[in-house]
Amino acid sequence: MLVRTDNLKKHFTIGRGQTLHAVDGISLAIDEKEILGLVGESGSGKSTFGKTLVGLHNRTSGEVFYKGKPLPAKFSTKDHLTFSREMQMIFQDPYSSLNPRMTVLDIVGEGLRIQGNLSSSDIKEKVALWLDRVGLNTDHMSRYPHEFSGGQRQRIGIARAMIIEPRFVVCDEPISALDVSVQAQVINLLDELKASMGLTMLFIAHDLSMVRYVSDRMAVMYLGALTEVGLSNDVFFEPLHPYTQFLVESNPEPDPETERNREHKPIVGEITSPVNVQPGCRFADRCPKVMEHCRTTTPELIATSETRQVACFLFN
Amino acid sequence: MRDPILTVEDLRVEFATYGGTVKAVRGVSFELQRGETLAIVGESGCGKSVTVQALMGLIPIPPGKITGGAALLNGKNILNLPAREANKFRGVEVGMIFQDPMSSLNPTMTIGDQIAETLKVHRGESHRDAFNQAIRLLEKTHIPDAKKRARQYPFEFSGGMLQRAMIAQSLACNPSVLIADEPTTALDVTIQAQILELMRELQRTENMSIILITHDLAVVAKMADRVAVMYAGQIVESGTVDDIFYRSSHPYTLGLKVAMPSNTHDRDKTLTPIMGSPPDLFNPPVGCGYYARCPHAMKVCAERLPHNMEVATGHTSRCWLQHVEAPRVLELNQPSHNHAG
Amino acid sequence: MSTYQPVAGDFEPLTTQQQVEVISRPSLSYWQDAWLRLQQNTRAIISLGIIVMLAIFTLIGPLAWTADPALQDLNQVSQAPSWPKTALLVAPYKSWAGITLANYESPDSYPTTVPAVTGFKVLDNPTTQRVRLIWDPVPGADGYNVYRNNREPLDFNDLGLPLGSTYGDQISYEDRLSLEAREYYYSVVPTDGLDEYEIYTQAIVTPTLALTPDEALERGLISDIDLPGQGQEIVIEFHPFGTDYLGRDMLARLMQGARVSLFIGIVAPFLYVLAGIAYGGIAGYFGGRLDAILMRFSDFVVALPFLLFMILFKIAFGIGPGESGILPMLIALVLLGWPATARLVRGQVLQIREEGYIEAARLLGARDHYLILRHIIPNTMGVILVTLTFSVPSAIFTEAFLSFIGMGVAPPTPSWGSMCNEGVKTMLSHPHELIFPALFISITVLAFNLLGDGLTEALDSKMRSRE
Repeated sequence: MLVRTDNLKKHFTIGRGQTLHAVDGISLAIDEKEILGLVGESGSGKSTFGKTLVGLHNRTSGEVFYKGKPLPAKFSTKDHLTFSREMQMIFQDPYSSLNPRMTVLDIVGEGLRIQGNLSSSDIKEKVALWLDRVGLNTDHMSRYPHEFSGGQRQRIGIARAMIIEPRFVVCDEPISALDVSVQAQVINLLDELKASMGLTMLFIAHDLSMVRYVSDRMAVMYLGALTEVGLSNDVFFEPLHPYTQFLVESNPEPDPETERNREHKPIVGEITSPVNVQPGCRFADRCPKVMEHCRTTTPELIATSETRQVACFLFN
Repeated sequence: MRDPILTVEDLRVEFATYGGTVKAVRGVSFELQRGETLAIVGESGCGKSVTVQALMGLIPIPPGKITGGAALLNGKNILNLPAREANKFRGVEVGMIFQDPMSSLNPTMTIGDQIAETLKVHRGESHRDAFNQAIRLLEKTHIPDAKKRARQYPFEFSGGMLQRAMIAQSLACNPSVLIADEPTTALDVTIQAQILELMRELQRTENMSIILITHDLAVVAKMADRVAVMYAGQIVESGTVDDIFYRSSHPYTLGLKVAMPSNTHDRDKTLTPIMGSPPDLFNPPVGCGYYARCPHAMKVCAERLPHNMEVATGHTSRCWLQHVEAPRVLELNQPSHNHAG
Repeated sequence: MSTYQPVAGDFEPLTTQQQVEVISRPSLSYWQDAWLRLQQNTRAIISLGIIVMLAIFTLIGPLAWTADPALQDLNQVSQAPSWPKTALLVAPYKSWAGITLANYESPDSYPTTVPAVTGFKVLDNPTTQRVRLIWDPVPGADGYNVYRNNREPLDFNDLGLPLGSTYGDQISYEDRLSLEAREYYYSVVPTDGLDEYEIYTQAIVTPTLALTPDEALERGLISDIDLPGQGQEIVIEFHPFGTDYLGRDMLARLMQGARVSLFIGIVAPFLYVLAGIAYGGIAGYFGGRLDAILMRFSDFVVALPFLLFMILFKIAFGIGPGESGILPMLIALVLLGWPATARLVRGQVLQIREEGYIEAARLLGARDHYLILRHIIPNTMGVILVTLTFSVPSAIFTEAFLSFIGMGVAPPTPSWGSMCNEGVKTMLSHPHELIFPALFISITVLAFNLLGDGLTEALDSKMRSRE
């Protein structure tokens, strides 16, 4: 187990004394060299979880363990520097995750420069190496982000994170802003890097098909809590939690036959707000199999098999 | 039975920018059949949005310019109309919904008022009548508690509900054509499923033809009857949804299919990306727009623009590989050779 | 449908594929791109040209046009702009006896009326050194009175300044009283030795400007070596833009005024924008309590009444004679001007703080000051530059206004504003004294504003979506 969280919570106070329960008690374990996918819709808190994990947000309560040792609740600059060699992040928006005023050389080499162990010519060499490795032309080192396409920018971001050779990488929706043909480029690159560098990854996304394809195990989040965790293929093809079932059913397939033969049971209602969450199952008011008990008590994640956990009273 | 309600022929649109002229749409032709859903699918920059914006007269004329082509709606020309004429058909015979409902609706007017406005302007209805009709339209799009909702402002709606409200507004004047420009791209997958279902239902009940713009092949598979695949300002393949998915006749279509993870057959096959980026539309290639990224490109592809070749009835492809003398490519649907093979 | 006949080899695979990852267009940094955009804006480029010309005017002008702005050319007071004027070189003054009638006898009795004087004219070339008037004797008159007016007399009681009286035998008069090179209306009235007859004759005379060689030498108009002869015309001080009410060269004053106005107009904004950046940057970056405190103080400064403050400052600094008053104005402008920039920069910083690349840098171990200096401030440069460009005309105008109402620079230090103040007094008679400084202020302010507009457009276009 490389990373483990224990009832991790991150709440935001928003005006008028209201609390946004973005991450509301997540206990998750990520094994070394595995890719854990974290899937959820908007408002589920998956991005917040990823950022809290690496210390970009100060956690409200709970623990995070890295290699068995607890991480600080509030990261100082020194903490970030120490852990930068272990944990890195790839960001969602290729347009705002690169400083438009810096050249590619500066951007990719920034981590090395801050660490201060290498001379600038050494850094330049390493940057060239990595640009080549992510499939970009090394001549473009002196160019600016706006001259690149979205997919290329995302690769620059990957080079920036990987050049300091971390062990654990959180990928926060790395492909959501990209075109389909380009998504595959980035996914293949991440796959290849993971294999050659022996990385552990947390892959956060909302595209269920892509998460199933990429990750070994998959966790589903809804309104700040986990609903189901298990092997990707298991969760996708045999979802247990009603919400996961809905997600899978709503997930369109690029295959007209499949779509024609599908039963259409559209989900009702909208996602409720993660502000001032009441006790009881968060999915209760949309769940077709809801029971009385669900509205009063919050279900915990329980193991239904060696590899599967579900937070639902249907499985008690 | 071919019964086109909208015919577009050789549409060409350009934009003058300080870096030069962008040839955004380079000869697009298609037909929308009555009662059908036509999906125009392509990635960013292919010109699919510009195409429908040109039809609706939404392109700002400088810097934009429609440099060629014709579009006939029920036999009447709708291109380059003066503002007054355009206002008569836009919103009335053709409705349109956009990607981001939040920025397409006026935040300072209630939803009911905005829908009513369409009716008051185009049909001359009184405010009371128009508002009541607005409520009924909201109900038609399955917005719960429509009467209360009609008096609310956009910020009080969630993304999915706003999209429903926008659909309601577009239906106000009973258009025969609905153009949906990436209507679900910004929505969660569960809400997307709801909206797409709603669109299908409304197509049946309101007897509409739909043009659906999207980049998501899965949405196409779910919604479309016919599909047009766009790349670099041109339609590279066009046919029924089954033609496109099961008898793909263009390398780009093939490329898109294998770049996506499939959960049905071949489910753990590796993804094959399309390397490179779309061509520079300031100086579009003289030949096929896709040739630089096509793994099967031939000499002729760089030199000559392939014309639309008929693969089967109603199925065309703009690719030299469809020529009888072209080499065979695995997985690509090609005509059988004329001479004994 | 094209009738295309395939040629052999057409279907051969393409061996030389376009290298897909090469970016062919030349690299443009943010600033280069902005400059390109700016060049397309004609108004902005014209404004930029005007500002460059102003800079040359201010810095190099005084080296090219060496007239002393404090020197009073009393020969050319309040003169409108004109081509160079000339003066006559004359010998130093020698007294004149005048023309006296010989064998003159006073009449025995004085008639009730006498005819008007005839032949009233100048003897020879009238100059500012002396005007010699002569006339024909009037029978029955035993004396004459000579008057001079600057304008045409309305009637007998409006003849103007009484210059002098002559006896019956003197039929000339030499006027040497404060002569200027302007039109004079002389009147001569016959008298009976004591009282005047109510009839007058008029002569209109415009004396030529005359200088003695000594005077000319002293003023540096002729050189020692090259003494031109008398009766020759020499060119006197050229005032291309005219002179003010004290005879000071307008062009030189405008140049000196430019230095003062532009110094304050550029240095003050520079300083207070710098202060604003630091202040707003810190407030925006750290947020929370610090931000709240800093912004409250900034609000307080905004609430201070500017004019009152200026006056207090002036009093406190106690500008003595010889001091120009520039420093107090500069300090006051800086002390009161920084909140606007601070608020702007703070807003930008708050926005940029949330961008992905900041988080990425933090994750790499970047420290606060590194983030602010290397990431945040450079990305606010666009806004800062625009603020600066708009602050300059504002400061110039404020300085002009203050000097105009007398609360700015102290005379004799000229500033465009104080020159306007002086010009207003002679607005109707000598409009050029007001028009020039006012024109300069207007053009400068307009040019900076248009440049600021152009810069906003050029820098504001989002560089992101280049796909």
